[in-house]
Amino acid sequence: MKLSFSSAYFASNFPVFLKSSVVTSLYRPVSSSSQSCLPTCLKPQVPLFLKPPIYSTALSDLKSWHDWAKSLATSIGSTFVESDNGPDSSLLCRELKWLMEDAVEDQSVLTQMGNVNNQTVIMRADVEELYSLWKQRIEDRRPFQYLVGCEHWKDLVLSVQDGVLIPRPETEHIIDLVADVLSKNEGLRQGVWADLGTGSGAIAIAIGRMLGKCGRVIATDFSPVAVAVAAYNVQRYCLQDVVQLKQGSWFEPLKNVEGKLAGLVSNPPYIPSKDITGLQAEVGRHEPRVALDGGINGMDDLFHLCNGAASMLKPGGFFAFETNGEQQCKHLVDYLENHTSGSFCGLKIEPDFAGIQRFVTGFRQ
Amino acid sequence: MIMANQIIWKSNSLISFRKFSNAEICSFHRSLHHLHLPPLFYYLPSYHLSSSPSGFLKAPPVLTRDWAWSQQRPNHCRGLFRCLKYSSTSICASSSNSSCSSSKDLGKGYLELTDEELMRQCEMGTFKASGPGGQHRNKRESAVRLKHLPTGIIAQAVEDRSQHKNRASALSRLRTLIALKVRNDVDVDSYSPPRVLLQILPPKSSIRGSDCGSQIGPNNPKFALGMQALLDLIFAVQGSISEAAKFLGLSTGALSRLILSDDSLRMAVNELRASKDMKPLK
Repeated sequence: MKLSFSSAYFASNFPVFLKSSVVTSLYRPVSSSSQSCLPTCLKPQVPLFLKPPIYSTALSDLKSWHDWAKSLATSIGSTFVESDNGPDSSLLCRELKWLMEDAVEDQSVLTQMGNVNNQTVIMRADVEELYSLWKQRIEDRRPFQYLVGCEHWKDLVLSVQDGVLIPRPETEHIIDLVADVLSKNEGLRQGVWADLGTGSGAIAIAIGRMLGKCGRVIATDFSPVAVAVAAYNVQRYCLQDVVQLKQGSWFEPLKNVEGKLAGLVSNPPYIPSKDITGLQAEVGRHEPRVALDGGINGMDDLFHLCNGAASMLKPGGFFAFETNGEQQCKHLVDYLENHTSGSFCGLKIEPDFAGIQRFVTGFRQ
Repeated sequence: MIMANQIIWKSNSLISFRKFSNAEICSFHRSLHHLHLPPLFYYLPSYHLSSSPSGFLKAPPVLTRDWAWSQQRPNHCRGLFRCLKYSSTSICASSSNSSCSSSKDLGKGYLELTDEELMRQCEMGTFKASGPGGQHRNKRESAVRLKHLPTGIIAQAVEDRSQHKNRASALSRLRTLIALKVRNDVDVDSYSPPRVLLQILPPKSSIRGSDCGSQIGPNNPKFALGMQALLDLIFAVQGSISEAAKFLGLSTGALSRLILSDDSLRMAVNELRASKDMKPLK
């Protein structure tokens, strides 16, 4: 699993995607500096809502597509719910509405769908593409977030694409936990934080925004696609001076900050291998297995993180890890209490919004 | 604590709403007379501002789920979510002393609170997702339900992708519902319309000074305050539009048009008029 190379991507080297609304710059390589460019220079995809509105469609054509898409969604009923606890048609219809929001430039058109006249609509994708996207949604169960290339997470809108885990609402709570710790210990605000297995960069970006100018976040991921997408998101929120991306496995890119971290957070893969096949199709068929599968009991990476935390965190440093639920939380706390030679204190299990014991937090002694 | 008895909660599936019996209304009014709630006060989900003939309101599909509730904590410290059973007695009892006590203009007071202050009076419910959640799941169930503890009024929003935005929408709906449902006393003999009300009146009103600025419409967040004051007046004159119009320097027709410009306002007025056997405004 370990990479023989570990190269740093400094988001500040990236073209400023948003400020220049020039389309072509969006397709420039992720890193414009040659020394950190991997053989596979990855181009992060642009989310639909940021694509240029260069298509024009007759309102009647948009309406036909919408009617078709809606009847397809309605025909699903609770089929997906019954087969693998997937979305029901009411959720699919809501997704259809969101797809329209992202695809259509002038939102006021959406209220006029009833009285179709000869009006044209300016769009960010042409109708043919919308047909194809919605077909993928229903027939292939491709996640909605991959269709539109983004996920709304906390108050952020993050770019996501195939190969990058879609950030989950449960994970938002890690940010609340960190905010809580920062409010009680201002000193931690100045330090270096690390988000391991950052994926889209969600946690790193949200923490980066809380730390402000004084702090720094290092976000690592083993996957080059994830690093590219996270860098794009960091750039979008103008945090390239705060969040630094490094490619590599877990602690490998962090050797120079050993024993210096003020905080360490991660949402590592934690699903037991045997459960992968039974996952909701959107997750199991489309999201990267490497971001989900945590080994036989799902805890391979969590244990690795706990071991690393002891040597990486400075005294008083904080950590928060997401887990599969109560069982893993208890297991982990037991491990941290009894098998890490008293490295940690203040260990806590925190529930997510649904009341499931989800997070383990604590401090380095 | 009183409100608790008025809402029927069914924890597992359907949440239904009912009108109160007369006895309940009496005890309710005795205890909460300072709130000046309309006699047939019942709770409407924000979506469903129309009542069904039977007096029961069918909850929209989104309500038929389990919710995990958490009280908003003062410093946005959401670290300690607690899941409450739907024992509304305990929920309301815990809040009653804080807000239900003093002010005479309590209802108005709620709308003058900042978002954060209002949020602190609420309990927030989110979907209680079934199954293991976390990485297992990809469902954007970001619905938010706010229960305003002092009044028991509930507002919800489901249509957005993030809980963040849904929370903001639910809060703005809550303001509208408070305006519609919580009545303040109006002394008709010495009445002069408050500024918030003047601001929502059309420019042709003879008592509306030019210092009121341009007319505030239903899409402006400030509309709720004016709407509340308008309803207070209309309730004080027993639903008579022509009487209310006189106080506002408007023709009856002009006031009717203002009322008809906002669906929820129209329905609240017509509900009052129906209870007094008056014809609805159309």
